[in-house]
This record gives sequence, structure tokens and C-alpha cells, in this order.
Amino acid sequence: MTCALSRRSLVLGSLPMALLAGCAGGRRDANRAAFWYSYGGKNREVLERLLARFHREHPPTRIHATFQGDYFEALAKLRTAIAARAAPAMSHVVAEVVPYLAEAGVLEPLDSYKGASALDLLPGLDQAGTYVGGAGRPLVAVPFNRSTPIMYMNGRLLDRAGVERPETWDDLREAANRLTERRGSEVSVWGFECPVSWWFWVALVAAAGGKLVDPDGRITLGDEAGVRALEWWQTLVHRDRVMRPPLGRDYNAWQVTTQDFLSGRAAILWSTTAFLRYIEENARFEVRVAPLPGNVKRAVPTGGTFFVLLRGARGREKRAAWEFLRWMVMPRQTIEWATSTGYLPVTGSAVEELTQSGYYAAHSSDRVALDQLASVEPWPWSPNLFRVQREIMDPLLEDAVLSGGTPAVLLDRARREALSP
Amino acid sequence: MKLHLVLSRVLALAAAILWVGPYWWMLITSFKTLPELLESPLSPWPATLTFSAYREVWLSVPMARYLANTALMALQIALLQIALGLPAGFALAKLHFVGKKIAFGLVLVCLLVPAQVTFVPVFLFLGQVGLVNTMAGLVLPFGASALGTFLVRQALLSVPDELIEAARLDGASDAYIVYVLLAPILRPTLAALFLLSFVFHWNDYFWPLVMTTDDRIRTIPLAIALLREQGTGVRWHLVMAGNVILSAPILVVFALTQKHLIRAVTAKGL
Amino acid sequence: MKPAHRAEPYWMLAPTLALLGLFFLYPLFVATKQSLYSWDLLTPAKYVGFANYQVLWERGELWRAFRNTLVYSSVVVAGSMTFGLAFALALDRPGKVAGFVRSAVFSAYVVSWVAVALLFMWLLDSEMGLLSRLVAFLGLPKKNWLGDPDIAIYTLAVVSVWKITGYAMIVFLAGLQDIPPVLHEAASLDGAGALVRFSRITWPLLRPSASFVGTTSLIISFQAFDVVRIMTQGGPVHATELFVYAIYEQIFMNLRVGRASALVVVFSALILGLTALQLRVWRGRGTA
Repeated sequence: MTCALSRRSLVLGSLPMALLAGCAGGRRDANRAAFWYSYGGKNREVLERLLARFHREHPPTRIHATFQGDYFEALAKLRTAIAARAAPAMSHVVAEVVPYLAEAGVLEPLDSYKGASALDLLPGLDQAGTYVGGAGRPLVAVPFNRSTPIMYMNGRLLDRAGVERPETWDDLREAANRLTERRGSEVSVWGFECPVSWWFWVALVAAAGGKLVDPDGRITLGDEAGVRALEWWQTLVHRDRVMRPPLGRDYNAWQVTTQDFLSGRAAILWSTTAFLRYIEENARFEVRVAPLPGNVKRAVPTGGTFFVLLRGARGREKRAAWEFLRWMVMPRQTIEWATSTGYLPVTGSAVEELTQSGYYAAHSSDRVALDQLASVEPWPWSPNLFRVQREIMDPLLEDAVLSGGTPAVLLDRARREALSP
Repeated sequence: MKLHLVLSRVLALAAAILWVGPYWWMLITSFKTLPELLESPLSPWPATLTFSAYREVWLSVPMARYLANTALMALQIALLQIALGLPAGFALAKLHFVGKKIAFGLVLVCLLVPAQVTFVPVFLFLGQVGLVNTMAGLVLPFGASALGTFLVRQALLSVPDELIEAARLDGASDAYIVYVLLAPILRPTLAALFLLSFVFHWNDYFWPLVMTTDDRIRTIPLAIALLREQGTGVRWHLVMAGNVILSAPILVVFALTQKHLIRAVTAKGL
Repeated sequence: MKPAHRAEPYWMLAPTLALLGLFFLYPLFVATKQSLYSWDLLTPAKYVGFANYQVLWERGELWRAFRNTLVYSSVVVAGSMTFGLAFALALDRPGKVAGFVRSAVFSAYVVSWVAVALLFMWLLDSEMGLLSRLVAFLGLPKKNWLGDPDIAIYTLAVVSVWKITGYAMIVFLAGLQDIPPVLHEAASLDGAGALVRFSRITWPLLRPSASFVGTTSLIISFQAFDVVRIMTQGGPVHATELFVYAIYEQIFMNLRVGRASALVVVFSALILGLTALQLRVWRGRGTA
């Protein structure tokens, strides 16, 4: 074994303990950095491929990458690790939690890092475009796997029912009613499916013209628009019975809806552009992709994650992590990531290159999410946003869509809870 | 045949189906391939006996490392509990001293406190001393076992004092008496304690979940739970292959030591 | 007996007491103190008095965790004891087949909760799961076993029953073997049927085993965590949020150390009560 033993582990542990603990201390070497990630399945394979190439091209820098479960599991690990001073130099986190972490002072400001001002990021996806007032703050988050919600349609089912691609909420409701097929009282094909979760509710609120947080920083949860968004879901689920309400914490629901769509049991699906490649490769019918229908306007939130460096890491680790981060957002890596997954390419030069090479001409579906960036609704810079999502809204949405409580009453209670410390 | 005999046959059959069936399904699934699983998830037999799921699991994560970590952790905890429980149990069973009642009371109270209620402060404390994500952080909190100490004490109560006094007259040291003279006498108790502890900590999910952050120290239950990568579709053949890797060592231990284990969990004759 | 040296008992006890104190007793004090603060681990803690308890109480989170745990535990204890007793009676005979079935049932108690939880998630998978397909094949209505808030907690409980029935069975078997066969023979000669023999001889003599199994599995089920963490993460709509999971979620998902600690304090009191009960039962059984 080549790793050095730390004295602490010798004092406190037996020999095998010391060997293992000593190895864990190996990250102290120059040009090493730990990176925690949440990419599962195919995305993980792409990441591993990129990592191997990075190590070939950039000796002696080593990135020790560890899979930490889905976004929420990984985030839980990350925050407690920060408190226990065991955090990695680099990780990636969802947009909603960046303000919270930044305000707690645990994210490394990146402005002074080499090349930070020349990253050439797409305006809708970078920190400046993702957050209200994001440009005026120190740079702490660099987009990598970013997405928007998009609408997937089963071409065969739409053609059979003679349904056009819906452009508005009303269109979609009508389409869902015509596409739903029943055998007796059992539904055999659902007209519409969508995970009942925060992200899609936020999309609905934005399209209904609402804001989650008003300009003074008061949490409004969209006020009237928030209510209408919930009511629309309830109508589709309870009155029309054309939308299957897939429940389950976090990504269970996403998985269920995707499987339903792929097996032809759901005609229209709202999901993330990140599943584009997976859905196209596994569907045995023509997949059509479109922007989300609008209500008073078209608007969608962005999703996915940002790379962040953790302030508590050693300087050398942070520099190694930055080297990796910068390499990852260079056109070649960005393009490889985007084309093999369905996430958006995050830099202007990558988009340029893809357009020039005729990629978008051949893959028009990839273009949909990109074009949708024109109607992106920025996130409020609110440290409480993440708590509101996790503690209040996610359970509330499940509850409302399932039991059908009165949206105005539920959201009123949610606003009160959001105010309490 | 009499009714109750028929009934007992039916029950035995039901038990066999309900308990062997899931294991069987776990094994069968692990031998399938992904296309096979999607085409005919219910076929009771894999098309060909392929180990590809095992190979994929083994290659995609450092499984050997996880197995070694887990075995090492469980072994250290079990041995430490015995090494510390012997003298402590001896003092509580055989020696008179000031504060004995208090000490025994403390052990009893700890018997009541599960790790699930103490983990927050322990985690933060271990973070402060830099032991998060180390083997020591996994082992130390369980190094002393209230149950172990208690069981050793109970077993020693029935060992005659004369034995110990005779050894003392021969000039034996305390350590000799505890570890060399008494340990063999307590073998059934110690074996039961070892097995209970080893099996429990091999299977433990909670504490490694809290304490470990990367795969240099990650243990096998954690790693297997992480195989269920979500988002697009769970690859169940991989998860079941992982499940077999996680369960097989314990089932082997179980098969070899069933009698001891049964005595241990029924708390009989310890 | 007199110690060889005055210091002897103290050094013999020191490592054990130090570790137990550090990892079991001291944390309880810390948690009690932290339950009076609002703290997210990253920014400074604020003293808030009993506000954490108040919030947990007013929002019904305390009651919810308690009620869920109680429902789950009741099903687990009743289910595992019933099946454990039935199997013990059915399998209390010599022979390789009975031995194999006994081992199979008991082995579930020995394998990891993680393995069992994952296995049942696969069996219950709504599309490809063996049990879901079986239900569909039998023409029974399709149920969302883990996604329906009215069902999910019972699903978890049934999985747990599968896991620990072997434990109950083994304890009952040990109890049965202590019953002198001559009692049954005598009763048979007197013409007593199987039911009478069970209610007059077997059950009364098994009662200590039953209270032992009952209290032990009650405590096991009160501490359940893995099965929730893996199968439902407390959802849907908090329907499967058991006590320990609620604590975990407050600190790790919500970073609310204060509320988590308040839950710890309440939960510790509950567990202390339960375990005190268990110790009395153990004592009654003559092993303590």
C-alpha cells in the first residue's frame, strides 16, 4: 500500500483501521480533489468516461469521484459533511439550494479563479440568468447538467386520436380527455402524466403568471397563480380523471411516469429534457417533443444542477477541482455530455458547434429545450427556497392532488409555515 | 388424517413457499440480463445462466473493497466488545468495590439506549475530532457493548469464586485470569455474543449511512442500496445480484452456526 | 470477592464505561440541550426555548410519528407472533424437510434489512414485480403498494413481518421443546383433542416465551428505519414516517438539529419505558 499513515489513525485504531483511515487521508496529496456526484445509470457511465479522459489529459491532477445517491441524498450528505468538516472540494447541487448554501457562506467564490470570467455560459443557464439578481452576486455556481421541463408525446397515440400538439393548458386538457382510453372503469391509457412534484408545480405557477417570492423577499407561493396551478392538476386528476397522479418521494414518481410513457400507457408526459436520450432509445413508437403549453404566458423554470466548490477545502484541492470544472465546461466535454444524455449544452460555443455540425438539424428534439430557454423564469434568490420546497411544498402537493383539499386553504397554511423559523 | 395434522402440513407448505420463494426470485433475477428482464420479467428460469449482472456490479463499484471494509468493521467491533466486555463483566460479577451499583446501573441504562437516538451528537463530535469517514468512526461507538457486558456478568455469576482464588494463589495476573482462565469457560456466551454482534454490524445500514462519505470506507449494505439508481429505470438484475453478494456471506455464517445463533437470539442458556 | 488491588475493578471497567458514557449517555444530554435551540449546523445556533416541541406538537408531526409507529408496530408484533406461533407448532417435529423450512423462515431474520427491503421493492414493482403480476393474474384490483398513503405503512409492516417472523418462531420452538412430552401423552390418554391440549397445556406454558417475543419485537419495530429509508422515504404524504425516520429526516434532510433533538428526547422516553418493560419480562424468564 502506498498511502501514508496518519498519526491519528495509529493512535486511535488497530492496524487495519490505520491502513484504511490512512488511505482516506490520501487526498492530502498535491493536485487531488474529491468530487461527489449524483449521476446514476447512463449518466454515470458518461461521467466516468469523461473522468478517464480528464486524467489522461491532465496529469498529475486526480479527481476522486464518489457516487452519493440521488440529488437529495447527496445534498443531505454534503451539508452534514460540511458541518463535520469532511466535505469534498467539489460537488453539484440543485438550483434551489444554491442561495441557502451561498448565504451560509460555505461556497467558494469563484470570480478570482483563472478563466472564471471567460466561461462563455449560456445566459439562461448561468448564475446571472438563473437567479433574480444573480449577476450582482459573487460567482459561486457554474452550470453543468441543466435542464428544463419539456413535453413528450406518443406520436402513434396522438395520430390515432387525431390530436394536435397542445399549445395551451386548455388544449392539453382537451387532448388528455380525448387520449384517455378506458376499459370499463379501469383506465388503460392515461391522456396525461406528470410527476406531482415541486418542479412541475413551479412551471405551472410561472405559466399562470405567478411569482414564488415577491420583490421584497416575501414568500407568496404564486398567490392566485399558485392556487390555479393546483386546481388545474386537481381537475385533471379528480374531475376529468385523465391524469394519473404518480406519487412517491422524489424520483420514484419520475420513474413511474417515464415507464408509463415508454410502455404506451401514457400518451403525453411532462418530464425533464434530461431523459430525452433514454426515452428516444427505449420507445417503440415515434416520440414527439414540444415546449410546455402556456397559460397566460409560456414560462418554465430551469432544473438540474450547478457545480460548486466548497470553501472549507484546502487551497490545493480547490485549484485541482477548478481545473476539472473548467475542463468539464469546455465545448468538447459539454457537447459529449449533452448529446449522450439530453441535458442542455451549457456554453455558447458548444451550441454554436452543434448547430454548425448539423446536429440540431438531425435531432430537432434536442432543440426544443434550448429554444425554451427564451421563456425561462428565473429562480428567486431566497435562502428559504429549498426549505419551502422540501419541507412544505412537496408533501403539500402530494396531499392536495391525492386527497383534493382546497388549494387556497392549503397554500395559505403553507405560506404561514414558510414564515415560521 | 386428523384436521390439525392437515393444518400443520398446509402451514409448513405455505411457510416454504412464502420464505423460499422470494430468495429464489432474487437469485433468478440476478442471473437474467436487462433485455430479458424487460421482455419477460416473470419467466421462472433465466434463458441462459449468465453471471453478467455480477460482473457488471463487481466492475462498476469497488465491491471487494466494500466487502473487506464490512468484514473488517464487523470483526473489529465483535472482538472489541468481547475484549472489553470480559474484564468489565468480571468486575461487575465478582469484585466488591465502591460504586459497583452505580456502574452496573449505568450499563443497564445504556442497554436501553439505541444508536438511533444518539447519532446526532455522536456524529458531530466525531466530526470535530476528524473521525467522520474513517474506520475508527465506524468501530469506536460500538466498541463497548452494554448487552455484552451484561451477558458476561450473568454468565460469570455461576462460576465458583474458588476457581479464581486458586489462580490468584498460583500468582496469576488479573489479565491472565480474565482472558486465559475464564474466557474458555464462557465460550458459549462469547460465541453467541460474537455472532450476534458480527451479524448485526455486517447488516447495519444506519450508522455507516451516517458516518461514511466515500467508497474507501463505504460498507456493503450501503453500496447495495445505492445500486438502485433512480431517474430512468432501476436495473433490478443488478440490484438483485448485489443483494446476493450482500446476503450470501451472512447466510453461510448462518448455515455454519445456526445452533449458536438460535441460542443467542432466544437468550437461552447464556 | 475482594479485588487483588484496589484499582483493579476500576481499570477493568474504565474502557467500557468510557465508551458507553461517551457514545450513549453524553449524547442524550447534548440532545436534550440542543432541543432548546434552533440550529442548521452551518450557521450559529439560536436559543428558542420550547419552540421546537411546540412546532412539532402544533403541526401534528409528533403525533403523526407516534401514530405511524404505533400502527406499524402493532401489525408487526401481532403478525410476527401469530405466524411465528403457527409455524412453530407446525414445524415442531423431526425430519429434514421441517428443518429446512425452519431454517428458511429463520434466515430472513439474519439477513440484512437492506436486502429484504430491496427484494420486496422488486417483488412489488408496479410493472415487473412478481407479486404485482400475480395480483393482476388473479384478477384482483391493482394496488399501489408503496404509493398509496392508506396502504404503504401496512406494506412496510408486512415486509417486516416477513423479516422477523423467524425470530418469533425460534423462540416459540425453544419454548415448545421445554414442555415435557409426557404432559401431552397423558392428556391424549384422557381423550383431550388437539385444541384442548393447546389451550390447556401448550399455551399456558408458552406464555413466558410469548411475552419475551412480544416485548423484544415491539422494541425492534419501534426502532425500524432501514425499511422506511429504502422503500418509501417516509412518503407518500408522510404516511410512513416512523419515529426514527422522522428524526433522521429532520436532521439530514431538513438540517433542523433542534427539532430532531426534540424528537430524540420524546423518543428516548418512549424507548426507556418499553425497554424497562422488556427487562422485567427477561427477568421473569430467569435469564436475567
